[in-house]
Amino acid sequence: MQVTLKIERYNPESDESRQETFTVDVVEEATLLDVLDVIKDEVDGSLTYRKSCRMAVCGSCGMRMDGAAVLACKTPMRPVVEAGEVPVISPMGNLPVLKDLVVDMEPFWAKFRAIKPYLDDGGEEPPVKEWRIQQEELDRVMTEALCIQCGCCVSECNSMEADPDFLGPAALAKAARFVNDVRDRGGKSRLEIYNGPHGVWDCTRCYFCNQRCPKGVHPRDAIAKVGAAIYQEGMHSDGGARHAKVFVKSTHQTGYLLETHLVPETVGAVNAIKEIPFALRLARAGKVPNPLKPHKAKKLDEVRKLNKLIESQEQATLEAANAGPTRPPADPAQAKESE
Amino acid sequence: MKSSYAYYPGCLASLSQKELDTSTRAIADKLGMTLVDIPGFTCCGAGDVHEARPEYYLHLNARILGQAEQLGQDTLMTICNVCTLNLRQANAKLQADPELLQRVNRNLKEVGAASYSGGVDVRHLLWEIAEGDGYEKLKQIAEKPLTGVKIAPFYGCQILRPSRLLGFEDPDRPQSLERIIEACGAEPVDYPSKIKCCGFPIVLARAEVALGELIQPLAEAKEAGADAMVTPCPLCHLSLDAWQGKASREADMEFDLPIFHLAQLVGAAAGLSYDELQFKRHIVKAYPVTDKIYQGV
Repeated sequence: MQVTLKIERYNPESDESRQETFTVDVVEEATLLDVLDVIKDEVDGSLTYRKSCRMAVCGSCGMRMDGAAVLACKTPMRPVVEAGEVPVISPMGNLPVLKDLVVDMEPFWAKFRAIKPYLDDGGEEPPVKEWRIQQEELDRVMTEALCIQCGCCVSECNSMEADPDFLGPAALAKAARFVNDVRDRGGKSRLEIYNGPHGVWDCTRCYFCNQRCPKGVHPRDAIAKVGAAIYQEGMHSDGGARHAKVFVKSTHQTGYLLETHLVPETVGAVNAIKEIPFALRLARAGKVPNPLKPHKAKKLDEVRKLNKLIESQEQATLEAANAGPTRPPADPAQAKESE
Repeated sequence: MKSSYAYYPGCLASLSQKELDTSTRAIADKLGMTLVDIPGFTCCGAGDVHEARPEYYLHLNARILGQAEQLGQDTLMTICNVCTLNLRQANAKLQADPELLQRVNRNLKEVGAASYSGGVDVRHLLWEIAEGDGYEKLKQIAEKPLTGVKIAPFYGCQILRPSRLLGFEDPDRPQSLERIIEACGAEPVDYPSKIKCCGFPIVLARAEVALGELIQPLAEAKEAGADAMVTPCPLCHLSLDAWQGKASREADMEFDLPIFHLAQLVGAAAGLSYDELQFKRHIVKAYPVTDKIYQGV
């Protein structure tokens, strides 16, 4: 089959960018990476991109096809050809371009290092050679452990576009992998790293990361797990956590969002005063509900009881998780027997 | 399109964005949709309760779905992206895991709430009128074509992504709003960030980051020649409309871009008046466009 690609080229020596069109013949099963290989072998040896395993494991060949980050080795071209499309291939977003389709991954790795991507066992000696955990304890972190660090999630992260210092979906998914690991003793000091000004509360929930991840890691869901851990530890110092607190409180007090509480309780009283002219403009358009007569849901006591009931169940789960891994028997003979 | 729905307006359309609720009820009438109110519905918890207290979020949404089921309805209609994703995600979880559903129902029973069997589908208004007989009906009621009005579609995030939970259309190349704009006789305007985030979830906790996100679609739509923008989400609407002034100052650009709720766009094409659609409740004045629509000037 014949494939035509428009490739964004960038030459760092001359600092020139251009789009170049290539048409090549490839086998029906060809992936985007196969097409690039044919172009490089047969047409232009200077075309530059990263690759290694060719089987969606190494995470090297992340790039954009028509603006959407993909792993080139996992992207079959036949549907594209059959649809009569000529896709634009460009480097991933949110990372500096080095040459053609190659981006500088250093800012990506710096964020990985920042989240303490290793198990903190608190210096405790494992009872038998190593820390052993149960299958269900492993299952809690398996989704995030699937990450191959390709950067596809970071490429389209809307918050990172607006705040380049945002830790971002890949690093925070890795964070979730340790937060929910029963062997980890990082506790609040670990969570503090993720609760910072460029941490979890920077996420705008655009869900591009979940959409783009080629490995089903669902980074946004992982960020939410870290947010939940921070929130349920009672760490409510950040405006993001305080914003969530208003929602929880609202459902309990009225069943609906207490819109008038959001601003003062998220940004603080002093900053809220600065927002008074803005609030008045909203009020003139009828957009500020009467705070003295909040709209209340019917059957509110159901929701209040539900909140309390679930809260007690959450507390029990949290205590169990904080108790650490399900300890294997201390007696080595017994441990051997159980193996 | 169904003939009747359990209708879930969510918080914003019940409180600060009442014009959305009013316009939705008005066009439902024209479209021949019966909207059955859910007595005792609450907030879906938005992304906030979902993140902070996922178990509570799941139960809040199960309770809403159970109430819809109790009304004898098999489809719940939403008019907000965040409500749509929250309810669909909870629904997918409950439908896929009978043990979880049983546990949630035990809790619901304990507090005296209606249980949920898993038999409700959650659909956004947009999806109901963007294809099939809903679309045909829309074309029939759009008797006052909005000729010459250029409208930029703004989808918002949580009606597109993650597509495994939403799945109505290609999340990278959606066309439903464009189809509706065309059916209303207006001209859709294309611009790259129509599928990106408006920044609203973090507009208070991270104002600068959120405004950075908000400026992009406003600037691009304006540049592309839009007279107005339309969105299926009241949170995006609040961001694009109420925060537009702040975005304008931050970017040092004049946007003056009226933002329509989806139901207002359809309503205007269906001949509903300025007052019926409550355009006066907008922060960015809608006159420049509504005058064109209602007075042809």
